[in-house]
Amino acid sequence: MPSIAWILVALAGAAGWGVIALARGETVNAAWLILAAVGTYLVAYRIYGRFLATRVTGLDDRRATPAERLSNGRDFVPTGRWVLFGHHFAAIAGAGPLVGPVLAAQFGYLPGTLWIVFGVVLAGAVQDFVILFASMRRDGRSLGRMAREEIGPFTGTLAMVAILAIMVILLAVLALVVVKSLAESPWGVFTILCTIPIALLMGFWMEKWRPGKTLEASAIGVVLLLLALVGGRWVAESPALAPLFTHSGVALAYGLIAYGFLASVLPVWMLLCPRDYLSTFMKVGTVCLLAVGLLVVHPHLQMPALTRFVDGTGPVFAGKLFPFAFITIACGAISGFHALVASGTTPRMVRREGDARLIGYGGMLMESFVAIMAMAAATALDPGTYFAMNAPLAALGGSVESAARAVQGWGFSLSPTEFQALTHAVGEQTLLARTGGAATLAVGMAHVFSRAFGEGLMGVWYHFAIMFEALFILTTVDAGTRVGRFMLQELLGHVWAPLGRQSWYPSSILASALIVAGWGWFLVQGVLDPNGGINSLWPLFGISNQLLATVALCVATTVLVKAGKARYAWTTLLPLGWLLAVTFTAAWQKVFSEDPRLGFLAGARAVEAKVAAGQVAPALGAQLAFNARLDALLAVVFVVVTLLVVLSSAREWLLVLRGRKPARVTETPFTETAYAQ
Amino acid sequence: MRSDVQPGLLAQVATLLRRLAGMPDYEAYLEHCRTRHPDRPVESEAEFYRQYLRARYADGPTRCC
Repeated sequence: MPSIAWILVALAGAAGWGVIALARGETVNAAWLILAAVGTYLVAYRIYGRFLATRVTGLDDRRATPAERLSNGRDFVPTGRWVLFGHHFAAIAGAGPLVGPVLAAQFGYLPGTLWIVFGVVLAGAVQDFVILFASMRRDGRSLGRMAREEIGPFTGTLAMVAILAIMVILLAVLALVVVKSLAESPWGVFTILCTIPIALLMGFWMEKWRPGKTLEASAIGVVLLLLALVGGRWVAESPALAPLFTHSGVALAYGLIAYGFLASVLPVWMLLCPRDYLSTFMKVGTVCLLAVGLLVVHPHLQMPALTRFVDGTGPVFAGKLFPFAFITIACGAISGFHALVASGTTPRMVRREGDARLIGYGGMLMESFVAIMAMAAATALDPGTYFAMNAPLAALGGSVESAARAVQGWGFSLSPTEFQALTHAVGEQTLLARTGGAATLAVGMAHVFSRAFGEGLMGVWYHFAIMFEALFILTTVDAGTRVGRFMLQELLGHVWAPLGRQSWYPSSILASALIVAGWGWFLVQGVLDPNGGINSLWPLFGISNQLLATVALCVATTVLVKAGKARYAWTTLLPLGWLLAVTFTAAWQKVFSEDPRLGFLAGARAVEAKVAAGQVAPALGAQLAFNARLDALLAVVFVVVTLLVVLSSAREWLLVLRGRKPARVTETPFTETAYAQ
Repeated sequence: MRSDVQPGLLAQVATLLRRLAGMPDYEAYLEHCRTRHPDRPVESEAEFYRQYLRARYADGPTRCC
């Protein structure tokens, strides 16, 4: 692009920020938010992205990539950069960037937006890019293996334990989001249940009837899925069928646990792979649709820039702006989980080294953009509706009228008749206390879609959005349980060798059951929690995801230091330091705060006091108190493991920098590319 | 590396969609075998698909949060 165009891009971004900064006491249009974000991304990609690509990592187009050297037509396949950009984006973007911003909207639209845009530019995209680079220079090695080889075997094992523990929490909290959006909703449950036979049909099609014809099967799957979506309304309106698909959260949680176990034990071609394809196409399609919808509608943001809840008294989750805005929004700004994908399939497909900047840095900018769209869709809702949907039932009371009073007490207004009309329009029995963000986002998206593409279809659009979120969350649950099972089998193999054999049935059943029991425990705990579960589990997920990012940044820094690039190590140390400050503060507050809504230990004591006063049944009270202490223990374990990784990495950096240890680079040696320059 | 017959638009779109979703591309595999290992036997599409599934889901997460 000529420099005049870049000047225009920079000016457009600056105009966006200018409008956001100067608008006080009046509503801002979502278009300015999007303009500011996109302008910042483009300028950062050109300046900081190029600096990372040329100076910090030194991408070299003359160097053959693993896709070229090890090409096998299977997983090592040289792939065009735009296609791989799309593939990588589809792999990293899931529910995280959609749900996190919705929850963080309780602080107003500004804090989340600033963190999403500047966090991605300086932290998230840097992590993804440097890990992609490191893995690409090491034949596509995984993060765990790089930690072992670059830092040491002890750190490698710690990293693996950390990844496993984080996976369990991640799966629990994502499953909780689905349960919260499907409870007592026959339409949603019917549509999601239909995805199982659809996936089986696709699986048999691709494996048995028309082997390898994946696109045919996917086309059939998408059509059937849309039919199931429309059929869901009919089911919900039928007095005979609706009760069959109306279930409580607890029942859905146990159903999900049983399903997760089956999906992990059954062969991948039957359930996992077909759902994977289905959710990828739905995800990419819907994200594009949302972008078009927001551009057409460009709604005004109804939520103020900052709400009074920056003081930590918010009903959605407890805790002040710092550190909890930066914990609640993990994916979209920086997500440690991406480091696992950036050191997985993607580095084996990069055609030229120079493409890594678009794929690693650019792919994460794209995910950040999804987070901005989610923020816009959620804050374009009336704040009263937002808080009635996201506060726990304990704070709202059981009726729309009591909710309206509670919302008024927080300084916003809610019209009971309008809220009932909205509930009816989206085909639900209740929208109160739909914590977890998915339902709020679905209402926001339904508003955008129905205004952009046809009024009067609110119900279909709402359930389309619910289906889209539930579909790819469940794909993550399937895939995550399976990966967790493999990792656990590897660890158990050190205890007794036969347990390490992936395809030995007793071992795979034992490991699957343990993983499912792990996340299932936290899921059921979240469903039973009178404060909505999200209040305790989402911060735990945020902390664990950010701690995984610190592990990834430790590996990235070690790679830079050992490659003689210590003078550029600030690029990864800067986000590392920030994340340590954020996560350690958050973990400390979550464990030790005296506020029973915020601190796990204080929460346990508060429950016990209620039991003593006869306000809570002793059995339930004992379980709630135990769960809260377990959460506290887990937070402490996360912090200790991460601290050990950081300290052992820092020791390694110092040894190399002081010359006590040779700066041995473990990259695969240089081979010249055969591609034309 | 390129085949001398230009693939049709539909085939190009199909390849793009497959790569986007991380699906196996049997045509690309055949092309790879023809140019790199003309002496070795070629797997059937069904066998290729099975091997692909094993490689894709055996190690590491393929999906994120």
